[in-house]
Amino acid sequence: MKTKFFIVLLLFISLLGNAQQKENFGLYTDRDLYVSGETLLLKLFAPLNDQAGIVHIDLISCGGKTITGIILEITDHQANGAVYLPDSLSSGSYILRTSTRSDKLQTVREIYVANRFAGMPESNSVSRIGRATPVAETEMGNSPITGLEEHYKRREKVTASIHLADDLLAKTEGNVHVSVSKTAPGYNGGTFCISAKPTTDQLIEKDGIILEGVVTDLKTAAPFKNSVVMLSIPGTTPGFNYYITGDDGRFFFKLKKYYGKIPVVLQCYDKARTRLLKISLVDSESLRSGFPAFETSTFPTEARKEVAKNIEAVTIRKIFNQQEIITLPAPKPQADAYPFYGIPTNTVDPKLFIDLPDFNEISHELLPGVKFRTYNRIPTIEVLSASLHNYFNEPPLVLLDGIPIQDLNIIKNLGSKKIDKVEICLEERHFGDLSFAGVVAIFSPKADDSLVPESKDLIKLTIEAIQAQTVLNSPSEQLPSEPDLRQVLLWTPSLKPAQTITLNFRASDIKGVYKLVLRGKTKDGSLFFKEQSFEVN
Amino acid sequence: MANNTFYIITLFALLAATSLTAQEAVPKNWDSEKIKGSQLIPYPSYTGNPYLTEKFVSGEIEFTDGTKIENLFLRYSTYRDEIIYFNSAISAQIIIDKISLKGFKLFTKEGANRIFRNQYYNGFLPGNRFFEVLNDGDIALLAYRTVVLQYCSVYNNEAGVLKNMEYQQNFNYYLYNSKKGYETIRIGKNSLLSKFDKSNQKLVKKLLRNNKIAIRDESGLIEAWKLIQINRIPTNF
Repeated sequence: MKTKFFIVLLLFISLLGNAQQKENFGLYTDRDLYVSGETLLLKLFAPLNDQAGIVHIDLISCGGKTITGIILEITDHQANGAVYLPDSLSSGSYILRTSTRSDKLQTVREIYVANRFAGMPESNSVSRIGRATPVAETEMGNSPITGLEEHYKRREKVTASIHLADDLLAKTEGNVHVSVSKTAPGYNGGTFCISAKPTTDQLIEKDGIILEGVVTDLKTAAPFKNSVVMLSIPGTTPGFNYYITGDDGRFFFKLKKYYGKIPVVLQCYDKARTRLLKISLVDSESLRSGFPAFETSTFPTEARKEVAKNIEAVTIRKIFNQQEIITLPAPKPQADAYPFYGIPTNTVDPKLFIDLPDFNEISHELLPGVKFRTYNRIPTIEVLSASLHNYFNEPPLVLLDGIPIQDLNIIKNLGSKKIDKVEICLEERHFGDLSFAGVVAIFSPKADDSLVPESKDLIKLTIEAIQAQTVLNSPSEQLPSEPDLRQVLLWTPSLKPAQTITLNFRASDIKGVYKLVLRGKTKDGSLFFKEQSFEVN
Repeated sequence: MANNTFYIITLFALLAATSLTAQEAVPKNWDSEKIKGSQLIPYPSYTGNPYLTEKFVSGEIEFTDGTKIENLFLRYSTYRDEIIYFNSAISAQIIIDKISLKGFKLFTKEGANRIFRNQYYNGFLPGNRFFEVLNDGDIALLAYRTVVLQYCSVYNNEAGVLKNMEYQQNFNYYLYNSKKGYETIRIGKNSLLSKFDKSNQKLVKKLLRNNKIAIRDESGLIEAWKLIQINRIPTNF
């Protein structure tokens, strides 16, 4: 009896460990067939129990190579964004993959991209996802779409209504998504879920990207303990943070609420200043491992014809410079009220004074309490303590556009013309557990990382942070002389559910079968949809 | 049979271990907000105490963005209106940048929570100050606890050095409303009554009399103000 009890207990514990994630992301794109140079629109429904605040979406070739990726912010368990399909993509199947650091299940969406210049390959065979579990979704039968005719003329105005049944309305979680786009005859890219290995550190990206890396001894290549890793975001009000490595030499930084491209500088030094170190970033792609199996299949002939038409349409749109999406201005990160190194004791603008050739002269003539000297070609810097009326024994923190500088030779030759301003703190400053015997912050007119050279212990990178919101560019009136070659007629990623949802849109010049689709998620986590097709001729 | 059971148990135990223990250690609070400040330079030594408390006490600070750091050793300097924390990792007393703080809490030995708020004071010597919140509400009762260095009769300190200055307490009390600003109040019945219209003064007097409250010290003032707030007696402020 006792043995049975133990078996059941152990079985329960082991299942508890494995069954933490049952739900997966719902991932939908505006279409299934694309031409390189186009922008793909996507909508994502996140699992209700997922704690992640951001999700990574990667575009991966069927060979497993990551082409590009975006990071989206999850709001109310939903996200939407756009992925630009580079012109250089070769024709073939690609997948979009969702991933977070803690996911055991990832969602992949299969799409086909035809190269705009090379067209379709001669062969009819295509690699497609095989042996993967499709993401389950239910068609809602009791939510009719009214007012949608079977046929429309080109550029005709369309008005339709979707009626959500009361029971569906009551159990719908958050907003619903509505889109009207052209279908690809004979080709359906599916959405599948695949298993993945979550990261083992249990860190969740709740409100920003986590940068991860490792510091090693330059000589032995062993992970280095007790090194100070500093992260700087150059700019007029620079961002700064640090991490002290443990036994495994690893470090982590969270970039909170940054949008778009941001420059980042990472550097490290030995706390005891005795060893030379090397810093390297962990490839974030390696943290997201899931990839489905592909098998060869035949590409439908109707779809081939459709691709040929699409290539022509996309090329004309490019000629007329018709933008597919509009990127809304990204929310600016809340700037700190004052620099991380404190409110400066003095701020000096060298341009207000006589032109001085180098920093030695500038410090000597203009910077009170700063002693910059070069003996035997080795530059040194000292800062006066305003309260102790003595020079600090330790060198100060020297910053160039917000980046800490270890080698003073970098600033040695900076004259008045290359410096916008110098801020000086004549007191011992503290940032967490770091202490600085005074601060000298130099700002160049560029205010970027270009003056700081890369080395083994300093890496410069540009990070594509959270994507700013994008909306479909659907002009209210199209010039009669200009072709209207939109394949997506409506894209409303977040629409408040109501008993009757009225939709107004206009057909484009492209003939074919279009599909109106409404998608949403219920409070129990299951995905639902309602769709109806119509033809434009 | 016993062997089979043993193998099954071992198998499940292994399964459980792999699923539950595959965690790598990342330091707790690795991404917490860092405290910014400057090194404390010891104050001149005179009689009296330049700090609110004799020693560092446990407390928490709240940054302007709302994030909090708990379990800090804090000491409020009434002499300079600064909050100092002891960083045990580097054994340093650090003055936390006032501009970065919304406020702080001190947990005294007596078990009382003393709440301080960083507010802009627009009266004499304007600027941001830490006010102790004695009673919060629509009109809050605040205390600005300050110590001033004043000349006194000559004395010898513990080391036998001749001194002629001492730290003297100079606490100021204010009624504060976010729209109306600050109104000075002193410890005493008359000062309190002056904040009410004549008709309401009678009510206040009656209230104090019935509740046997005498405003002879800070606790009396707090008690009286709490009672007035509960009874919603309107002030002329």
